[in-house]
Amino acid sequence: MAANRWLATGNYFTSYQEEQRIFFTHLDRSVFMVFIALLFLWPYFFTLSNKYMLVIDNILIAMVAILGLNLVTGFAGLISIGHAAFVGVGAYTVASFARVLGDSHVVVTHFWPLLILLAGCTGAVFGAIVGLPALRLKHLYLAIATLSFQMIFTWTINFMRFFDQGQTISVGRVFWFFGKVARKQHYLFWYYVALILVIGIGLMIRNLMRTKYGRCLVAVRDNDRAADAMGMHPGLTKVYAFAVGGFIAGVAGALHAYLYRGVGIESFSLHESITYLAMAIVGGLGTLHGAFWGPVAIKMLDLQVEHLAEVAGEMLPANMNLATALRPLTFGLVIVLFLMFEPRGIANWWRIVRSYTKLWPFRY
Amino acid sequence: MTYFLQLVVSGVVVGSIYALSALGFVLIYKSSRVLNIAHGQIIASGAFITYALKVFLGVPIVLSFLLSLVITFFLAMSVERIFLRRLIGEPIISVIMVTIGLMSIIDGLIYLTPFGTENFSFPRFLPQTPLSLGGVSISWTQLVGVLITAALIGGFSYFFKKSTLGISMRAVSDDQLASMSIGISVPKVFGLAWAAAGLSAAAAGGIIGNITGLNFDTLHAFGITVFPVVILGGLDSILGAVVAGIIMGLIQQFASGYLDGNFGLNGTADVLPYVILLIILLFKPHGLFGIHEIERV
Repeated sequence: MAANRWLATGNYFTSYQEEQRIFFTHLDRSVFMVFIALLFLWPYFFTLSNKYMLVIDNILIAMVAILGLNLVTGFAGLISIGHAAFVGVGAYTVASFARVLGDSHVVVTHFWPLLILLAGCTGAVFGAIVGLPALRLKHLYLAIATLSFQMIFTWTINFMRFFDQGQTISVGRVFWFFGKVARKQHYLFWYYVALILVIGIGLMIRNLMRTKYGRCLVAVRDNDRAADAMGMHPGLTKVYAFAVGGFIAGVAGALHAYLYRGVGIESFSLHESITYLAMAIVGGLGTLHGAFWGPVAIKMLDLQVEHLAEVAGEMLPANMNLATALRPLTFGLVIVLFLMFEPRGIANWWRIVRSYTKLWPFRY
Repeated sequence: MTYFLQLVVSGVVVGSIYALSALGFVLIYKSSRVLNIAHGQIIASGAFITYALKVFLGVPIVLSFLLSLVITFFLAMSVERIFLRRLIGEPIISVIMVTIGLMSIIDGLIYLTPFGTENFSFPRFLPQTPLSLGGVSISWTQLVGVLITAALIGGFSYFFKKSTLGISMRAVSDDQLASMSIGISVPKVFGLAWAAAGLSAAAAGGIIGNITGLNFDTLHAFGITVFPVVILGGLDSILGAVVAGIIMGLIQQFASGYLDGNFGLNGTADVLPYVILLIILLFKPHGLFGIHEIERV
């Protein structure tokens, strides 16, 4: 491709290596760089109230979790109705350290990057164990296996005294090079940590999908018998997918634990799992940037729903618990409507807009 | 010994209701290969409709029970017509997701009613003194519940063995293409399967509501326990659903009777079915009676 690498208008690839590039044109790369730079720099120019900072942090953590779910459900085609439990495994890894050593022990506060990594590894181990039935089974049964993992996880936390029976276990404030992260800086600090992790894991998955293993995943999703005939091991591929998905979920869980400075079971219930699924579907299963659209869309919707419930709650009798009713109702509707009318999710809208602007003023 | 027998009796009572609710689940799976995650919500709404008819509208209990069966029959049929009919031929993943979405929607709708957060219990209409036989007691509600369950399961099996409609449903579950070619309307059969599932789920809901009282969380958990039951019995076997339902009821009763409070354990009845489920999935995934169509992947 000796031609223009700034504004390519068509497919000029002359080798497979070129086709596998992450950024096809220099323009792509520079836009991406500027965007990332803006994400890092905007807190210097605006200050948001803690409430909205928390929402943004939540979105980023959900993005991490959805990157994992998207790998399992989108790229590998294995429905996971227990993703919140995997996130919970990560969170409770941090929590158990805090519980054994004390919530402000040096391990919890100073070595938090290690703990996040460890939470990821625990998530991976649990992911692989739950994925083990994948060696023999296909999607329907796997969905039920993940559902039962969700139930077992909730039960274990609720009934074990070690985990304080699902009560909140507090996790201390972390230290940074300049000392303890101050109360005022807390949300901003975790914004940066989560942002770096989102970018890192996003690039990791983008790279993963162009390795042999990533193509294996897609091949097994599309037709596992054909994949088998070509010498891949579908079962192991699926278990591996669960393990990687579990790892990413575990990282998200650890972030959640540190952000909220505590871990309680209510953040990892079946409803949360369904919310994660809604995010993945709305964003677009099987696309990388779907994992970014979904959490943004759903968390924004959640904010609006909360607002609506507050407004409407004043007009209705108190025993009608509108807030608890509206969330499942809207999420269910969103899942169903997207599946019926736009099964490829917001990522598909993005694709349409992108190709339109790229080709403008021509139609094709 | 009496304690053991008592556990057996209550296990069979709970188990037979599991069997009835699993029956509906199996019906849907057998005919249309849809895994209906929202089944527990249909069970719950059946119970709530019965209660609403009985208490809020003052309909006699027998009539309100029958009416709730009819209502859920048409409700489930319209769910199939509105949401699942357009998804015929779509990848299995989106079909399951739609039922997950449905589960969420019905949850939300139930939370809109007082049933979502408050507890209700049916007015007593049967004799209060439990039936006692050699130290083993069974309450009248439980006895009637088991009898209705047995009658419904018997009715369903007769329907599938003898009636033309039942035979055509079995034909569709066996081979869709072949049954289409002999003039069976496959979408209609899907709708009917959903309707029948709704009916049996509502019956199960009504009975369980009478025995344990109406609490959405309990009914919800009850609905999810259907999964271990159907996996144990084999996803597409009606006989399996019945046998596995009773086995699961017994396991739960024994667990709460013998394990709880002994080894520092509590609430084992809630978790044991899922542990069993995972073990079955690992070693005998087609369950007790399911056909061995699972391929090794």
